[in-house]
Amino acid sequence: MQNRRTFLANSLTTAGVVACGQTAPLFLSRTAAAAPATNRPGAKETVLVVVQLTGGNDGLNTVVPFADDGYPKLRKALRIPTKDLKKVNDSVGLHPSLAGFAELLEDHALAIVQGVGYPNPNESHFRSMDIWQAASLAEELNEGWLGKALVRIPASPAFHVAAPNEQSWLALTGAPSKVPSITSLQEFQLQTLAASGVDHDRQRKLIELDAVRRSPSSDTSSSDTSSSESSGRASLLDFVRHTAVNTYANSQRLHELAKNYQPAVPYPNSGLASRLKLIAQLIEADLGARIFYITLNGFDTHANQSAIHANLLRELSDAATAFFKDMSARGHRDRVLLMTFSEFGRRAKENQSQGTDHGSAAPMFLVGGRVRPGVIGAHPSLSDLVMDKLKHHTDFRQVYAAVLEQWLGIASKPVLDGQFQPVQILRS
Amino acid sequence: MSIDPNWAWQPYRPDAKNPWDLTKAGHLYRRAGFSANSAELDAALADGPEKVIGKLLGGGAGQEAFDQQMADLAASLDYNNEAELRAWWLFRILQTPHPLQERLTLFWHNHFATSNAKVRNPRYMFGQNQLLRRNALGSFRTMLAEISKDPAMMIWLDTSLNKKGTANENYSRELMELFSLGIGHYTEQDVREGARAFTGWEIKGDKFSFNAAQHDDGSKKFLGQEGKIGGEDIVRICLEQDAAAYFIVGKLFRFLVSETLTPSRELLDSLATHFRQSDYNLRELVETMLRSNLFFSPAVYRTQVKSPVDFAVGIVRALEGHVGAIPLADALEGLGQRLLSPPSVKGWPGGTVWINSTTLLLRHNLALNLTSTQDNRFGRRTDPAELARKRGKQTDEEIVAFFVRLFLQDDISPEGRANLLDYLAGARKQKYPAYWSDQDQQDHRVRAVCHLLLTQADFQLN
Repeated sequence: MQNRRTFLANSLTTAGVVACGQTAPLFLSRTAAAAPATNRPGAKETVLVVVQLTGGNDGLNTVVPFADDGYPKLRKALRIPTKDLKKVNDSVGLHPSLAGFAELLEDHALAIVQGVGYPNPNESHFRSMDIWQAASLAEELNEGWLGKALVRIPASPAFHVAAPNEQSWLALTGAPSKVPSITSLQEFQLQTLAASGVDHDRQRKLIELDAVRRSPSSDTSSSDTSSSESSGRASLLDFVRHTAVNTYANSQRLHELAKNYQPAVPYPNSGLASRLKLIAQLIEADLGARIFYITLNGFDTHANQSAIHANLLRELSDAATAFFKDMSARGHRDRVLLMTFSEFGRRAKENQSQGTDHGSAAPMFLVGGRVRPGVIGAHPSLSDLVMDKLKHHTDFRQVYAAVLEQWLGIASKPVLDGQFQPVQILRS
Repeated sequence: MSIDPNWAWQPYRPDAKNPWDLTKAGHLYRRAGFSANSAELDAALADGPEKVIGKLLGGGAGQEAFDQQMADLAASLDYNNEAELRAWWLFRILQTPHPLQERLTLFWHNHFATSNAKVRNPRYMFGQNQLLRRNALGSFRTMLAEISKDPAMMIWLDTSLNKKGTANENYSRELMELFSLGIGHYTEQDVREGARAFTGWEIKGDKFSFNAAQHDDGSKKFLGQEGKIGGEDIVRICLEQDAAAYFIVGKLFRFLVSETLTPSRELLDSLATHFRQSDYNLRELVETMLRSNLFFSPAVYRTQVKSPVDFAVGIVRALEGHVGAIPLADALEGLGQRLLSPPSVKGWPGGTVWINSTTLLLRHNLALNLTSTQDNRFGRRTDPAELARKRGKQTDEEIVAFFVRLFLQDDISPEGRANLLDYLAGARKQKYPAYWSDQDQQDHRVRAVCHLLLTQADFQLN
């Protein structure tokens, strides 16, 4: 809040702006009300970052049940030697690329929900992804679970931080305002047609000047009847100007951040990491956004899975770990929750191309200062398969229910079209 | 504040105390169209309200040719791609010689809010769009009867699933709650009986078809009437209720007159009575509203928030410009208005809901990108600099005067005007890239000052 006052004083140049009429104090008092209450999960300013692993992540090689002698029978070329795993407990270990996640686990900041899926699993990328994103098994899926969640927290912006040319996703559809897909902070700043930095500043100041005007009862010199201000007009003008003050402050804050942001830890040099860094800046900018969506593509490893999967998991783990450390160093450790999911896991038995085909049940990772650390739920059985696929025991909507209710403070039933028993993913 | 209903709907007659002027002309064009360009403002001042309103009601020259052009374009669309139909409509809105008709079509699209997200049939959505346009200044009775049999609507509200023995109440309920009467003017029993009356209504060969075998033709009780009531009777009976006229008049009041003023029943009495007696003549109702004292009074001036379409199209039309409809449709979606996909059957709430810190930022940046000539999506054909050159505006005073008149009809404080002149004066002295010619620098200043105007709070208000 200190920072916002500073920005306000620095960026708005009208004399006495902090002292002026209705506009500025309301803006500042909104800030006060929005001060994060980080001790309670489900409290107002918690933030959810959803990381979609596109293509179907091979859960069996991500969280490996090394103690199960079924594993080497199913995975020969793709078998990960037990000695290479990052052991979580006596039965499962993490893929060696997940060094970052292992570190987070040590730090009590990683939860692994095993055996997540849904009944009658579908092997089509599109259908299964739609199911996860709509949180529904209905035939027609038009709205996303996050879009519906946003309807219930309409004052909160959300962002899809996208790779270049990345599509927008069903998960965010149905929000009261379309969730912007952004690839840079620049898109989220007030743009001007400026010939120079100086010109930009002059224009910006003029634009901001309009926002702090009060609505006098008669704003012009012409006759009463044609243009004196009705109370209706005055109230609309005030509303627009209030919004404008917030908008310009946000923009300025993003501008400062983009110039000055020093990550507390270095982010790795990957696409996912740079997008997560963008999210970190948006969180730090305190725009009130509570939901972020981001994807990592490439998990559809039908052939030559080893190296590809190792690289993807490393990208995921290193980026998410850097992000979490950066957020922690900035005091957001307890209010940020990162959740990974994929549209399905992969076939228990590897195929003839040193890869795996589409499966079903798989693990989800949760990263955050408030998670219940460690493994949640047993690893699916390697012998009791359904059409060569691992059997799920936890419906993904149970994880969503926990996130909605306990993290975001939203009733889950209307969003999920049903009551699902929440998984205990958070520390009480 | 109580408004005298007798005074309110009398036609506005300009006089010395309440003259016809620029702000009234601008107001009229924003409500009955998508803003005026400078020639239209000049003509309006000369013509006076009576004549201008007549023109807006009837539409300008070239409508037949335009309609033909639009029909040809519609025939060439790829109906597997919803985006093309959206762009078609937006193109129509941008170019139409009859903007009142399009603005009203938007109103009815919001009233009978049907979304292609469920219908998934752009051809049906096109049919519905034409239906709304056809009836926008026609008869509400015809509109209501036709929309009940419209394939897009039948899919949207499950009429086509409604069969004898397994009645689906969706259409029956929304017909009364959202389309004709409003909550409180029917009972749950009426909803159920209404559903029975619509059984057997199907789509066959992309058209409405009546399947007698699936129709429940037993006796029904609906809104106090009893008998072998069919779907068409339901529509007729709804329109026999007092509530119907008030409901529609109230909605059009919000759309044409004011979003901040809640009209009392008394204020709407004469309008509702006449609407009903005229057999639901929409043109007469719209005309009465537009011509009225209340419409031209300060009480309703700038008491609406521009929808994304109002905002963006208003800029392009005022600048006599052209932009690609497909990128513009995408941008409007970001602002919250995806044509043909309203968020629910209640439509877009509108008003202050359009504005939040995300959408306001996007509006400002869109205004810039439409007019900067530097955005690949929108091109160079909506250029304030070119317009200024065309009209011979060269000095700072001339330029500010021209655009303040164009966008705000001079409704700006002396201080606001001075700030813009001040900006231009300072801009003349600043450092430009070395390779810019004098004309480049001048053009740049014009575009910048235009953007400064478009970001003012007043410009968001209709």
